[in-house]
Amino acid sequence: MSWHVDERVWEAYVGGRLDQALELSVDSHVARCAECRAAARGYAPAATADATWAAVRATITTPTLPAPLRLLRRLGMRGDDLVVVSAADSLLVPWAVAVGFAVACACVVGFAGLDPENQDAAFLAMAPLVPVLAVVASYATLDPLREVAAPTPYSKLRLALLRATASLAVALPATAAIGLAVPGVGDLAFVSLAPSLGLTLGALVLLTWWEAPVAGALISSLWVSAVVVVRANGTVDALTAPMVQVAFAATGVVLAAALVLRTSTLRLQGGDL
Amino acid sequence: MSATAALVGVSKKYGRATAVHPTTLELWPGVVGLLGPNGAGKTTMLRLLSTALPPSTGRVMVAGFDATESHASRIEARRRLGYCPQEVTFPRGMTAFGFLDYVAVLKEWKDADARHAEVRRVLDLVHLSERTVMKVSRLSGGQRRRLAIAQALIGAPDLLILDEPTTGLDPEQRASLRSLLSGLAGTVLISTHQTEDVSALCDRVLVIDAGAIRFDGTVPELLATAAGRVHLGPTATAGAVQTWKTGTGLVRSIGGQAAPDSSAVDPSVEDAYLLLRSGQRITQGVI
Repeated sequence: MSWHVDERVWEAYVGGRLDQALELSVDSHVARCAECRAAARGYAPAATADATWAAVRATITTPTLPAPLRLLRRLGMRGDDLVVVSAADSLLVPWAVAVGFAVACACVVGFAGLDPENQDAAFLAMAPLVPVLAVVASYATLDPLREVAAPTPYSKLRLALLRATASLAVALPATAAIGLAVPGVGDLAFVSLAPSLGLTLGALVLLTWWEAPVAGALISSLWVSAVVVVRANGTVDALTAPMVQVAFAATGVVLAAALVLRTSTLRLQGGDL
Repeated sequence: MSATAALVGVSKKYGRATAVHPTTLELWPGVVGLLGPNGAGKTTMLRLLSTALPPSTGRVMVAGFDATESHASRIEARRRLGYCPQEVTFPRGMTAFGFLDYVAVLKEWKDADARHAEVRRVLDLVHLSERTVMKVSRLSGGQRRRLAIAQALIGAPDLLILDEPTTGLDPEQRASLRSLLSGLAGTVLISTHQTEDVSALCDRVLVIDAGAIRFDGTVPELLATAAGRVHLGPTATAGAVQTWKTGTGLVRSIGGQAAPDSSAVDPSVEDAYLLLRSGQRITQGVI
């Protein structure tokens, strides 16, 4: 090296007073000169170095949200709620349940050789249960981190609803997809969404009394029995009538209110929601 | 000064089986060790204190808040405690930072910058700052254990409850954990099978058996219960609770009638614990 950074230049560099060309020259020189690299350590204030390291560490360690969650953040979802939803690995089971049951449903409806009326009945019996099973599988009792979450002050109802919402984000498209994929039941895919809403909220209400598997089995049995009874008395077209769809939606609203009432009562009684 | 935490007539039943008999207990700042055999009710008692499990009867108090009184009171209690379960099932795809970030959210750290700083603080405390972005599934058993402990440390709680915290840690990591726990300002309650941890760390020892506290006192008080009851000699003493041949060729006998050619030695916490479990002549400190 024919030259080294002198004290005056170091002081100007550290103080940010060098012009851009000279600063780049110093940067380039220090990268190649061991003597000046050693000298640089004497001019870098410890506090600045610590702050720089802290900033680097913060940048490296802070998790970046997946693209769908960044979209939700732009849409106004709270950052702490996004962290809960982004713990998606603990939702793999409900997602697998949703997709697996949706595929099973498609196979039964599409390839079991049913006549059109029974095909519709089978679809309406099974498809609305996809989100129900996803929500039940996402519920606290099946959360791998439930033991860690239990003694925290975070609202367990909020946690359950966030997990349920994240599960539904997969389950509802799965439900729609099987309707569109299986020939002959396309319209029913959309018709099944209203009962899905009611059944899912019904399951959430039942979950305040019973364990997740019991609640899921009960609500599923009730729905399948209802479809079987309707089919035994004719076609399942009755379930697709506009008034019946409105009734399903209204039931959903009533069940949502029942869920709020029930959780409030449980809190007063010392429950954990 | 009031107790950090208390059980007041607390019991827990599962159907007809009683896991914890009615127990009244106060915890003050310092490290408290809970010793007991498998199935004695240690984990149930810790879960009761952590509010993860509601009691069948009685009241659970944390920092002056009655966790059994109302939902609001229970939330206040939970804001002041940290709990590390015996086993934590980590989602495999989570990073160490992501896991702690999630738990910090559950502990109501809403501001992202403050939350992330707290996560980094507890990662430093358990010496995992070099593993921050590593997937939990790639951490060793000891590192996962330390990560589980780190989540309990978030927010520097008044009451820290650790169920078997030293399981899976090597001697160096155990010593490091002891150093960390002994430097905390609040109340630390640990359950353990490691009697060395108790003698090295705890100001107070609770021995639980069959769902009831059998001993409550300091380590010296526990050791005093076994004074003159542990012998070293060429043969085992008659009626000893446990005997084994040591590396010197002499036989160490816990309890029983001392043989003429044996001599009494200083008991360890393990000796006192074994004697206590056997029910042989001990009265001091025994409940």
